Amino acid sequence: MTDSTHPLPNDIPQVQMQGWGHYLRFSTDHKVIGVQYLFTTFLFFLMAGLLAMIIRAELLTPASNVVDRPFYNGLFTLHGTMMIFLWVIPSLVGLANYLVPLMIGADDMAFPRLNAIAFWILPPAGLLLVSSFFLPHGSAQAGWWSYPPISLQLPSGQPINGEVFWIVSLFLIGVSSIMGGVNFITTIVWMRAPGMTFFRLPIFVWTVLSAQLLQLFCLPALTGALILLFFDLALGTHFFDPLENGDPIIYQHLFWFYSHPAVYVMALPAFGIFSEIIPAFSRSPLFGYRSVALASFGIAVVSVTVWVHHMFASATPGWMRLLFMASSMLVAVFTGIKVFAWTATVWKSKLHLETPMLFALAGVVMFVFAGITGVMLAAVPFDLHVNNTYFVVGHFHYVVYNTITMAIFAAIYYWFPKITGHLYSEGWGKLHFWLTLVGANLAFFPMHPLGLQGMVRRISSYPPEYQSWNVVASLGGFLLGVSVLPFIANIIVSWMSGLPAPRNPWHATGLEWATTSPPPEKNFDETPVVRRPPYDYGDPKVTVTEGQNS
Amino acid sequence: MITVLEYILLAALIAVDLMVSRWIGIQAYGWMPVEATQEAQRVDDLFSFLVAVGAFIFLGIVGVIAYSVVFFRAAPTDYTEGHPGRGNWKVEVLWTAVPTLLVLWIAFQSANIYGQLNILGLTPIVERLNPLESPAYAREPSPNPAAGPKPAPPPQPEAQPTVVVAKQWEWSFRYPNGVTSRELHLPVNATTPLLLKSQDVIHGFYVPAFRAKQDMFPDRDITFAVTPTQVGQYRLQDSQFSGEYFALMLAPVVVEEEAAYGQWLEKIAQNPPDLPRLVAEEQAHPPRRLFDSGWRRGDAIAAAADEDAIALRDQASPP
Amino acid sequence: MRHIPLDERPIRYDRWIDRLPRWLQRFLPKGGGTAKDHHGKGMFGVTVFLLSESVVFLSLIFAYSALKATTADWLPAGVKGPEVSTFVVINTVVLLSSSAVIQLAERAIKKERLTRFRLLWSLTVLMGSYFLVGQAIEWSQAEFGLRTSIGSSAFYVLTGFHGLHVLVGVLLQLTMLGRSLIPHNYDDGHFGINATTLFWHFVDALWVVLFTIIYVW
Ligand SMILES: [Cu+2]
Ligand SMILES: [Cu+2]
Repeated sequence: MTDSTHPLPNDIPQVQMQGWGHYLRFSTDHKVIGVQYLFTTFLFFLMAGLLAMIIRAELLTPASNVVDRPFYNGLFTLHGTMMIFLWVIPSLVGLANYLVPLMIGADDMAFPRLNAIAFWILPPAGLLLVSSFFLPHGSAQAGWWSYPPISLQLPSGQPINGEVFWIVSLFLIGVSSIMGGVNFITTIVWMRAPGMTFFRLPIFVWTVLSAQLLQLFCLPALTGALILLFFDLALGTHFFDPLENGDPIIYQHLFWFYSHPAVYVMALPAFGIFSEIIPAFSRSPLFGYRSVALASFGIAVVSVTVWVHHMFASATPGWMRLLFMASSMLVAVFTGIKVFAWTATVWKSKLHLETPMLFALAGVVMFVFAGITGVMLAAVPFDLHVNNTYFVVGHFHYVVYNTITMAIFAAIYYWFPKITGHLYSEGWGKLHFWLTLVGANLAFFPMHPLGLQGMVRRISSYPPEYQSWNVVASLGGFLLGVSVLPFIANIIVSWMSGLPAPRNPWHATGLEWATTSPPPEKNFDETPVVRRPPYDYGDPKVTVTEGQNS
Repeated sequence: MITVLEYILLAALIAVDLMVSRWIGIQAYGWMPVEATQEAQRVDDLFSFLVAVGAFIFLGIVGVIAYSVVFFRAAPTDYTEGHPGRGNWKVEVLWTAVPTLLVLWIAFQSANIYGQLNILGLTPIVERLNPLESPAYAREPSPNPAAGPKPAPPPQPEAQPTVVVAKQWEWSFRYPNGVTSRELHLPVNATTPLLLKSQDVIHGFYVPAFRAKQDMFPDRDITFAVTPTQVGQYRLQDSQFSGEYFALMLAPVVVEEEAAYGQWLEKIAQNPPDLPRLVAEEQAHPPRRLFDSGWRRGDAIAAAADEDAIALRDQASPP
Repeated sequence: MRHIPLDERPIRYDRWIDRLPRWLQRFLPKGGGTAKDHHGKGMFGVTVFLLSESVVFLSLIFAYSALKATTADWLPAGVKGPEVSTFVVINTVVLLSSSAVIQLAERAIKKERLTRFRLLWSLTVLMGSYFLVGQAIEWSQAEFGLRTSIGSSAFYVLTGFHGLHVLVGVLLQLTMLGRSLIPHNYDDGHFGINATTLFWHFVDALWVVLFTIIYVW
């Protein structure tokens, strides 16, 4: 059998492109489903980005003079919901769908039909959410947390209202995520090729494993909260109504029990992407592979015990505030392990700065910034000042945009030759990178000083002294809108007429590079057997002695 | 192997990083609003400390990455291998243990400062069910440690609280002498107990200059205390999203000398001032906007709230 | 030439898997290359799903307990809440003993005794349906409605969500019963039957927890 960790010499594949048709049909091929996820979620990304630009237009001036206030509330509610549940989480699921079976040497996911069903729930659920903009009383307007009692009050007696649409849509997305989670866990545990032991899995697979475990064991709490909220909203119960003996704080606990780990459902695969790209473009093995792999699990475990840091200013007793402050700060230890590992990998290596690496390195640097503000936010006394201000919004966007979305772009460029069989245009990619980097920092950095000065989030008009930073943020936001244009152009043109890609354009290790670009229907011509450690870069004069067990 | 020269260079770089981050930490005081309470000084001390530590780490990591990007570049076609280092358990243990100690230290510092803040917390439900039981976690208002220039006077626990009432979308304040106003006046250098009440949804009591924030829940009173140390005009802002006119839930906060405070109380008892009502004004004269969705329904909520306002205000009397 | 040790020696956990009880072994893979074990990965997937589903119940139970511990008017004065009655106990006993019956049915199919399997399996369907009917009677006779108070709402949501799972279990059982009539249905093993059995045990175990917190507490 072939030793597949070391890819075969580069050759141009015989596989011809089958056209676009199969991406529009019900398919059980994980590669087709992966691309379907990426394409669908990117459309939602564009829509949610458009909503953000209207928000930024409103905030150009202190007065409320662009859209009326209920509409503004609908804008930020749907912007948040769509970006999180219809872009970041499912687009990473799409990447994982494409990559995990290839990386572990499997011919498909464990349950291909379940995989397809999970995907096809997503577009109708998303469209349902978007369609709520056209209801007579508008979309949900209670923020993406949908805290009762405000979320119960806004529908004002309409049986069909934006809030119901929001709940049903999120419930459906949750069902889809659980299907996906079951599928990923089973795939990673059962479908690994011979010799692909846990400590030979690429870090991306480790991070998908821990992220999907979080989905499986935290997302049901949100489902439970949504069920109760739906009863309150549509069937007249009072679980969360404080004026009728209910308790809104229970909703907050259930909501954050999922929605804090949700950040790691998004961030962990992004860390995985960094861990793939940085070694490949520094031609060095990932420093401290094992501790990075285990740190993924550490993050997953600790992140289940920190949710109350979102409720420091809520009705939480002092002991709870201090306990959850300590646990929240421990997350920094595990993310620190990863950041140090990437830094050590880059140190004294041979760096290639192609587009994926630019996105990855910038993502790491901005993640360090986001991590530091994150530790600050965990400190209760400081959090009591900036909680629910733009400081939190800034921190969060440094995580989800400047880190995770950067990672998604890095991944799309990195695996573009594998997915499409064509090379993308490096110049357009770099243009996209610089526009994104400048736009993202202009848009999200000013939110930190604004929050420190006390500008509360979710307001559609603000005192005039906050204007200057807001103008900068708005200009950055519009620049971000422009920055996706070269990306879209690059993807379309390169896919249609890019140079044909060899098997392994980056000279990278990993099983996905051992098969053709794009891979054949069952991924590998014969089942690969793994005999080498992952990230087998490094000085060729140094050989790897095999363990006793392989 | 690391030579002596490299050790000296490393030490020098760390020293520079320390100095620069310390300087940034001092700058951080200037990024915050006015400090109008002693709590604000404590929070700003913590913030400065956090910024200094954060800047040290950020500059350290980014410095290494930036140095690598500049000096460890491969030629475009050179796909030969980089360094062979797969790991070093000593280094890995070090960069796990040191951050652990560091965050525990930060947590300890923060807990320390938290202990000096005057947050009495939520009236526990146990107390609501059985009023004889003492609150489970409310602390007695304690004088702040003599950290600031003006030491706080001894607290007056017997003092009647000022009742802060939030409703959609207006603040009102009921003073111990029974007067109600839409302006929060506080005597300087005195601890004023506050009773936070909400009438409809969750609101948030937030005065940036006080660095104080606390959510307010309907039917669950929250005791709170502020000790302003600086005379001036500040702003109270609703910090928990509360619906259509959320952005207009602002109220002026006036901190003044004890005597002026007393005079003001007497003055408004005779003729209540006619303060602007932001929401009513906007409803009466809707501003010109580029786009109108027609989703508006807050008018109905505001009208309904006004009807019960009198009944609920009686309910909002101190216990 | 410098040798560096292979950092990622596979963990030999095949050996301790062998020491585990049989029923547990079928949920655990033995190293790489198990992709063709369709029954194994199917059961693993079902197990993972049920663990996840139990968190939905956990969150509802958390809400129930937190509300019950803190709410002043759990049920209005004078209204009789859910209580342990002979009716409820019989219902519970029937549901729990159906777990034993379905286990016997599963064993029968393993020994390829098809008639015995169909008999026992149908008995399980009847017992599950009996429980559902009993639940419906209890609902219709309750002194309180969904909107009476927090306590009554919580009662209906919790028992209703569990009842939904019982219903799904019964429907799954009926499907499997129908499939048992298809010739050569069991050529690839008994995945459907094993999965349904596991689901049924899950539903029964949940009832023990719910019974305790609804009727005993
Ligand atoms: Cu955003
Ligand atoms: Cu969080």
